Amino acid sequence: MSGHSNWPEWIYIGVVIALLAYVGGEAWNVERIVEHAPAEAEVIKVTGQQWFWTFEHADGTKEVGELHVKKGHPYKFEITAKDVNHAFNIHDYVVLQDAIVGRVNTVWFAPDKAGEYPIQCREYCGLLHYNMRATLYVEE
Amino acid sequence: MARAIVLASILAVLVILPAISIAFAESEAGQYVNRKAEIWNLFFKMMTIAFTVGAVVSGTMIWVVWRFRESHPKAKPTKYEGTDW
Repeated sequence: MSGHSNWPEWIYIGVVIALLAYVGGEAWNVERIVEHAPAEAEVIKVTGQQWFWTFEHADGTKEVGELHVKKGHPYKFEITAKDVNHAFNIHDYVVLQDAIVGRVNTVWFAPDKAGEYPIQCREYCGLLHYNMRATLYVEE
Repeated sequence: MARAIVLASILAVLVILPAISIAFAESEAGQYVNRKAEIWNLFFKMMTIAFTVGAVVSGTMIWVVWRFRESHPKAKPTKYEGTDW
């Protein structure tokens, strides 16, 4: 292959490496930002079981099927399950985390708008999975 | 030379893409991270890159098939293909 120039290949390799580095770096950074819970976040223990959600606030108050929080305040959910695996989802706030038996998974969020939002199980968990819902009340 | 081209390409992408993302970044409204904005922003960036790379790769493949077909006016036989063209 005499007289063959290979600089387009080198540019191609360089661009691919740079894009991979950028994609990896950006994804890592967003994941870091999204997963870093603020120190002042209030812990709410979330338990999923067939077929309802139970919430326990830091002061010991319990709620079943509904969760009341304050607007503009950060909350850290500690999520687990009692019987089979479930998944805790607040669609409007892009909160989604598996609820696994014998394990505590965490996710945090800070609601910025008052209102009522649906909470739904997102892992098929049996006959009434479709109805394993709760309501999030964000208060002023 | 090759090393310089690779380095220049890497730097170009690493500088240009962040500059574009900063220019189009959503301004931070609240005190806390908006998960929805962060996650959708990441999704849009990844999709932009995926479609761009997809277009370049498929475009290159289409060009290679078009350019190196036997019936192309400038086609030259390789030494493996004999000389009876």
